[in-house]
Amino acid sequence: MNLSDVGESRVNGYLFVLQRSLKTFLPPDAVRDAVREIESHLRERMEAADGSPNERETVERILAELGPPLRVAQAYSAERTLEEAVTTGRLVPMFRAMWHLAVTTFAGFGAALGMFAGYFVGFAFLAIAVMKPIFPEHTGLWVDNATGVPHDFGMRFPIPSDQHVVGGYWVIPISLVAGLAIVVLTYRGNRRFLTWWRNRRLS
Amino acid sequence: MSHETWQEQLRRGTLDLAILLTVSSGPRYGLAIIQHLEHFTDLVVAEGTIYPILGRLTKEGLLESTWVEGEAPHPRKYYALTRTGEKRLAGMKTAWRDYAKKIDRLMAASERERA
Repeated sequence: MNLSDVGESRVNGYLFVLQRSLKTFLPPDAVRDAVREIESHLRERMEAADGSPNERETVERILAELGPPLRVAQAYSAERTLEEAVTTGRLVPMFRAMWHLAVTTFAGFGAALGMFAGYFVGFAFLAIAVMKPIFPEHTGLWVDNATGVPHDFGMRFPIPSDQHVVGGYWVIPISLVAGLAIVVLTYRGNRRFLTWWRNRRLS
Repeated sequence: MSHETWQEQLRRGTLDLAILLTVSSGPRYGLAIIQHLEHFTDLVVAEGTIYPILGRLTKEGLLESTWVEGEAPHPRKYYALTRTGEKRLAGMKTAWRDYAKKIDRLMAASERERA
């Protein structure tokens, strides 16, 4: 079937939306390959429908049988990003999967926020453990000079006049343990969320 | 779990096996795989969701793909079973037959006990 300009623009519009959606989580060569394959599918279907009296109806039916472009993109996401993240447990695919979920779903956004906060706090504790031997006077538990009430835990540059740091090198093991525990818990929670999400999609 | 959810899980769980079986007789391109599946089964709900599965099976090393130009007015991407894919398919077929046999036995026993 030789498509009219209207038919061509409908097909190109479908492929454009698909390409844009795939770009958010797939590398460029994988996007090109996927779009080329879907276009091949559409052209083949159009050819098979040659002689059909109503072009518009035929194009819409073929596109409907293929599925909306966002659904096709989500299927790619589920198969590629999510599957890779869940089965390998590697950080980069997990971050990529979380990013995709964060920009496409509310639950994903919330989970990504939690993940970011978890890693941030975890690495902050680890940074304290590393910095304590280098800047011992600037790192530790900060206590108010007047009241003696603990103010916060971390690094201060310069040292504030109304506070002083307490505690010695015990800060290092505590920060190390706390940092590692938070990072590991965040990682596990993140992986559990992705597994739950994948299973939810499959059900 | 509703009946529809159970059926959907069953469908998704068997799609990999169905696709590997479809290409086991020789290389086929995407649409030909879909048409073969549609002819023998009702496993294909949306055609566009088959391509990501083909991509995953290729990434897992069970299938290999090649673009063929000149055969049709547009290029076609053919999928063929790899050695690993053949082994996996053989394992899946055995597992499926064993599983089906056990469920059949269980259903027969259940029907006998009810009678």
